[in-house]
Amino acid sequence: MATQSDMALIQNLLQFIGVFVSFSIAYVSYRGVRQTESSTLLRLATAFVFLGFGFLVEGLVGLGQILPSLPVSTSVVVVGGLLLETTGYFFLAFSHAVDVLLSKRMGAALLVVPVVTLSGAQLADVLSILSFYFVLYGVVETGYSYARTRKPDTLLIALGLSLIGVGTFLQWLSILYQYVGVLSLLQIILQEMGLLILFTPVLRFAVGGVKVNGPI
Amino acid sequence: MAQYRTQVRIIADVLSTARDQNTEGTGVGVTTLLRKGNMSYGRMTKLLSELVGSGLLLELSGEKISKYMISQKGMQFLAAYYSFEDFAQSFGLRL
Repeated sequence: MATQSDMALIQNLLQFIGVFVSFSIAYVSYRGVRQTESSTLLRLATAFVFLGFGFLVEGLVGLGQILPSLPVSTSVVVVGGLLLETTGYFFLAFSHAVDVLLSKRMGAALLVVPVVTLSGAQLADVLSILSFYFVLYGVVETGYSYARTRKPDTLLIALGLSLIGVGTFLQWLSILYQYVGVLSLLQIILQEMGLLILFTPVLRFAVGGVKVNGPI
Repeated sequence: MAQYRTQVRIIADVLSTARDQNTEGTGVGVTTLLRKGNMSYGRMTKLLSELVGSGLLLELSGEKISKYMISQKGMQFLAAYYSFEDFAQSFGLRL
């Protein structure tokens, strides 16, 4: 039976996988920005830079709990990590909103951030709900995009985002029900599975390279 | 459904027209680029001078009219564009 510290260690290791995947996607997107000056890729790169730093901060906070010599376990840092993560999800949703506006659809209206009653609610709680909301929007738009393009990779990304969405929901639950320890581990596992699925286009990009005289 | 094109998409459309319509190797006229590019004359001439200035298109000056041909740098841009378009589409986005 895994002890509490074993579970914490697994959670931290998984956070660092998230860091690697996020920065890889951000790197490929940034290369795209350099070569094509595409604003879409700039938003994608920004989203994953924020997500990467968010996972990094959360991973370091977790390590701080295991290794007391690392003084990073303050609640401000925890909220800072969540804020970075939420900002990343916001940029991901924002990319879709801009895409929707360019295609003259009405789906962007869904991204209107709901008025959140902050009184009494903890900031971490609110950030988790917002993350869930942004990811959910990303799932809907990616699903719609799949219906339009029928591209298998897009369906895979929608699946990955769905897993991240469920993970984010569990993150919120784990804040509410802190005594259910397995929730936060399950949340990290689902989020990392989702992120690994998001890594697929990066792998395809790395393997396929740049096509000359590609299809129009 | 009709949709707006981003600037990078418009550039890719013009470059691919200049590449595909240049069947005789003598370049492509503005009329052909206008017809395929679906934009106004004023906007097209401004874009063409920008693309020539950045080295993506080559301008072949004739007696009366100029013709345009895609450059090696333009070909590389198109290749990168298609590759990153595929990448962005995976995330359900358009370049």
